[in-house]
Amino acid sequence: MRVEGLSGGCAPGMRVEGLSGGYAPGSDALTGVGFALEAGTIAAVLGPNGGGKTTLFRALLGELPVQRGLVELEGRPAYVPQTDRTRLDFPVSALDVVLMGAYGRTPAWRRIARADRDAARAALDRVGLAAEARRRFGALSGGQRQRILIARALLQDSPLVLLDEPLSGVDAASAARIEQVFEELRAERRVLLVATHDVEQARRWDRVLCVNGEQVAFGPPAETLTTDVLRRTYGPELVVLEGGRRAVAVEHHEH
Amino acid sequence: MLDWLTDPFAGGLMQRALAEVLILAVACGPLGVWVLLYRQSYAAESLSHAMLPGLVIAVLAGAPLLLGAAGGVLAAAAAIALASRDERLGGDAGVAVAIATLFGLGALLALSPDVPARLGELLFGDLLGVTGRDLVEAGILAAAIALALALAHRRLAMSVFDRAAARSLGARPARWELVLLVLLAVCTVAAVRGLGNLLVVALILAPGAAALNLTTRLPAALGLAAALAGLAGVLGLVASYHWEVAAGASVALAAVLVFAVSLLGARPLDMA
Amino acid sequence: MQRALLESLLLAGLAGVLGSWIVLRRLAFYTHGVGTAAFPGLVVAGPAGVAPQVAALGAALLYAGGVEGLRRTRRVAQDAATGLVLVGALALGAVLASDVFETGAGVDRLLFGSLVGLSDRDLWLTAGVLAAAAALELGLRRSWLAQGFDPATAQALGTRPRIADALLLAAVAAAAVVALDAVGALLVTAVLVIPAATVRLVAGSVATLQLGTAALAAVEGVAGLWIAYELNVGPGPATAVLGGAVFAVVAALRRPA
Repeated sequence: MRVEGLSGGCAPGMRVEGLSGGYAPGSDALTGVGFALEAGTIAAVLGPNGGGKTTLFRALLGELPVQRGLVELEGRPAYVPQTDRTRLDFPVSALDVVLMGAYGRTPAWRRIARADRDAARAALDRVGLAAEARRRFGALSGGQRQRILIARALLQDSPLVLLDEPLSGVDAASAARIEQVFEELRAERRVLLVATHDVEQARRWDRVLCVNGEQVAFGPPAETLTTDVLRRTYGPELVVLEGGRRAVAVEHHEH
Repeated sequence: MLDWLTDPFAGGLMQRALAEVLILAVACGPLGVWVLLYRQSYAAESLSHAMLPGLVIAVLAGAPLLLGAAGGVLAAAAAIALASRDERLGGDAGVAVAIATLFGLGALLALSPDVPARLGELLFGDLLGVTGRDLVEAGILAAAIALALALAHRRLAMSVFDRAAARSLGARPARWELVLLVLLAVCTVAAVRGLGNLLVVALILAPGAAALNLTTRLPAALGLAAALAGLAGVLGLVASYHWEVAAGASVALAAVLVFAVSLLGARPLDMA
Repeated sequence: MQRALLESLLLAGLAGVLGSWIVLRRLAFYTHGVGTAAFPGLVVAGPAGVAPQVAALGAALLYAGGVEGLRRTRRVAQDAATGLVLVGALALGAVLASDVFETGAGVDRLLFGSLVGLSDRDLWLTAGVLAAAAALELGLRRSWLAQGFDPATAQALGTRPRIADALLLAAVAAAAVVALDAVGALLVTAVLVIPAATVRLVAGSVATLQLGTAALAAVEGVAGLWIAYELNVGPGPATAVLGGAVFAVVAALRRPA
């Protein structure tokens, strides 16, 4: 069961109980997921490739073919997928892409509202790409494209934002800008759920959810980012660096 | 010089042919841009070839061509969908079987009776035989397609640009892919009288491909495609008049040549 | 009529040898493209005094070159490029035909084949292509199989996939060219693809596929000729409809398996 639009105030931004599901009946890709996130929280989702991070996102978006359990959301989530999946040959500018964030709330026969156009420019400015508004989306760098997709999510103005590995393969300048935007969104009392492989980054945030086909752990970083949990999450993919700093080694994947 | 361009259109026959191609340009141009963006060129080609039996049966039965075209396209879509379902065969063999069988059936029906069903006109179009009523029918269909594309514009863009995020942005990709195929079928039906079922895709694919070669903005591409389709129509008709060659085929060839010329320009998009 | 029968049997042999590979290596659309692209060549062959097979081969080369050239510009996707070149070829053929032919009958013959009009030379050419294709197949079948099954490792297996594949494409093009006279430019798939696709639904090995295809193509070819004779149409449509019907029956019966 999936419910959108809880009343605001003290109610959590996102609540999940007993979530299980997959792509075909009888074979679950994900089982036993349950957690709650309050407004103004950034949560990391850790897990190996194929372990269920993207499946979880699809369940939260209502796109998973087979789904059981309870999902309560404060609104329809904005979703920032990996930029690899967009069509780079498409004839759209950076601003056009950001404007897509307003498509959902504009009826087919109306032009995009002036307010939305202004908000789109503001969103581009927030991610530091106001100067690139007119450039073709496919001609920009990976980090710039990622920032534009985040600007699009900003325009959607949703209380919930799901991001799929927003910082992988992104240049340092873009990454810094993106993390700054995350902090701003948290200050705006939104909920961010960020799939990532970077354990150090997860340590800086409010909550961590570890999944590997099932939920391994959920809680504050100090409690969840233990060797034991990480080993159960990543299994043989886990690489422990000298000095006790844990890191995760994963091969580059293509969906 | 101007005479050379205007002389052909002195008579009613050619005037109606001109009206027909201009009406079709409004629908086929923009639709073609979407067909190319959605990578459905093969579907466009398959539908148009496999619809032949519908056309032939309509002619043999004395029914309106539009009806036969619609029936033909539906049967073609169903056959192609069925034939491509088998995993063992791989996509293209099954579709090839469906197309060849249906196309052959159309030819069989057309060539065997003692009064042949003017197969050549069904295959290559009867642009000079367009009547006032044909113009009205084409006009209604073209207007419907143009209106549908305008209303569906944003959803179509979202669904093909970023399929993964489309749902969260407010569009269901599977639904809009289907909408595009339906519009493609309607456009094929509208254009088959003038161009014939073999040449319809020329007016759908070529102007769109040319437009995407010349601009990097989607709205501009849609408008440019319509304009280039109209240009191809005019050039084709003028050429067919002066050199006394088939009208529909001239328009189709002109469209392909417009595309060829567009390749000479700068390179705004990497479409591969 | 006798020549038509003989040609049918020779083409059935080609269907057995190459048709299986056309289906296994996903070359059905390519086959159809070669046939269709030959149309303008066929239109001008007569007036130019050139053998139709030569004109067809020339047109096929232009088609392959055109599609490859478009692909390299990176300005248009593969399926669109093929569609554009083919519709351009059809339009060109139609424009030329309205100059060359007085009636539509001449065009019909080019598009759908004819029962009469085959010469000894045509038969020899078909036999030659069959022999060459069989020889190639014997030598290259392992490479064709490996490349189709697992392109990533075929090179590592030492099977020289690029040359082998180029030869496969050339062989298929040659087969399409010699099939043109019999079934017409638009229906070469009726003899080269449909029987192989039908047998593929039930065959368990490449050898079964090839033998079964040759047998089925022979039966369909001869029966198609008979139907064409009775109904006074070209062999192409008759063979296509017959082949399609057989395919549908086999596909329907096979489903419970």
